[in-house]
Amino acid sequence: MKLKEIFSKLTLNVKLASAAIFLGVVAFIIGNPVNNSIAKVDMQELSTMVQKEVDRVSVETLADWIIKGKSDYRLIDTRTEKEFNEYNVPTSENIPVTNLLDGGLLRNEKIILYADGGTHSAQAWFLLKAKNYMGVYILQGGLEEWKDKILFPKLALNASPEEKAKFDKLAEVSKFFGGVPQTGTSETAMTAAPSLPKLSASASAAAPAGGAKKKKREGC
Amino acid sequence: MMPYFKFDFFSADFSLVVAVIIGIGFGFALERGGLGNARILAAQFYFTEMRVLKVMFSAIVTAMLGLFFFTAFGWLDLSLVFYTNTYIVPQVVGGLILGFGFVIGGYCPGTSCVSAATGRVDGMIYLLGVMSGIFVFGEVFPWIEDFYYSTNLGKQTLMDWLGLPYGMIVLLVIVMAVGAFVAAEWGEKKMALKKAGGSK
Repeated sequence: MKLKEIFSKLTLNVKLASAAIFLGVVAFIIGNPVNNSIAKVDMQELSTMVQKEVDRVSVETLADWIIKGKSDYRLIDTRTEKEFNEYNVPTSENIPVTNLLDGGLLRNEKIILYADGGTHSAQAWFLLKAKNYMGVYILQGGLEEWKDKILFPKLALNASPEEKAKFDKLAEVSKFFGGVPQTGTSETAMTAAPSLPKLSASASAAAPAGGAKKKKREGC
Repeated sequence: MMPYFKFDFFSADFSLVVAVIIGIGFGFALERGGLGNARILAAQFYFTEMRVLKVMFSAIVTAMLGLFFFTAFGWLDLSLVFYTNTYIVPQVVGGLILGFGFVIGGYCPGTSCVSAATGRVDGMIYLLGVMSGIFVFGEVFPWIEDFYYSTNLGKQTLMDWLGLPYGMIVLLVIVMAVGAFVAAEWGEKKMALKKAGGSK
C-alpha cells in the first residue's frame, strides 16, 4: 500500500526522469548497440531469395555494366590480397571475407561479390544478408566463369553463322578487357592455358575515381 | 530497416510530404510548449523562464534513447543516419550570431515560424528578417566560402570526441539533462524570489 501511495504522489516529471535514468543505465550496460559478431537470420526471407534466384548477376551483365561505365554498384573481390593483385575484374575492390563487415560497405548499396568459383562468394553473401544488407548479389560462376565467358570466349571449329556473329560480339568484349578470344583452330591451341591480362595501374585506379555515385540527397 | 528514406521505402518527392507531416508535429509541440511566445523565449537568457532548455533537453534525450535502442534491436542502421561535419570555428561564429538575434528579437528561426503561424505580427516580421538574412548570406557567400568550410573536423560524435562507448555517453547525457532540469527549476524559483523581493 505504502509503495503505491508514494508512486502515485510522484509528479509526471519525476516519473519520466526516473524512466530516462533507468533506460540510461540499461544503455550503459549494453555498451555498444551495434554488434558485428552476432546476427539474426530471417530464414523465410533468405530461402525465398535463394529459390527465386534473385541474388545473382551474370558475368555478361557485369561486363556490360563495366563497358557502359555504370557506377551504381560496388564489385567486391573476396579473395586474398595476393590473388587480387595477380588479377581482378576491373572496377573491383578487395575486401577479404573476414573484413566484410568492417569494409565500409553500406547497407543500401548494390554489392556484387565474387571469388574464384561460387562457394566463397555465396558464403560472403549469406554473411552480409544475415546482417541486413539489402542489395547483395553473387557473380554467377565467379572468376572461373569470367575467364571462360568474357576473357577467353571460345568458338568451335564447326560453328554456325549465327554462332559466329555472336562470337564476334563476345570477341569485342573480350578484347576490351584485355582477353584473348579463342577460335578453335586446333585442339592443342585450346588446351594451352592463356595468361591473364596484365592489369594496368590506370584501369583499377580509374574505377573509384570515376565512380560518381548517385548519393541520396541529404543535409542542407 | 530504418532510416526508411535510405532504403528506398519512399521517393525523394514523397520525402517532402513526410517532411511536412513531421514539421506539423514539430510546430504543434513547440506551440503547446509555449515556445511561440517571444517573452518566454527571450526570458531563457535571463534565467527567469527555463522552458527552452527543458524542451530542448527532453527532445534530445527522447531522440537519443530512440536511436540507441532502435539500433540495439536491429531496427535502425546508425551508419546511414546523416549528420553534418563539424566545422568548429564557423559554427561557433554562426551560433553567436544566432544567439544575438535570439535575445534581441525573441525568436530563433523555427519558433518564429510557430509564432507567425499563430498570428503574432512580431513573429511575421522576424520571419521577414530571417529571409532577408538568408538572402544576404547567399549574396556574400562567394567571399565567405573559404571561412565557411574551414576547420573541418569531419563527422564528430560525443563518442569520437570523448573516446567513450555509446552506452556510457547515453547515460552521461541523461544524467546531465536531469541535472540541468533540477538546476533550471531551482534557478527559476530563485529568480522569482529575487523579483518578488526586489519589487517590495
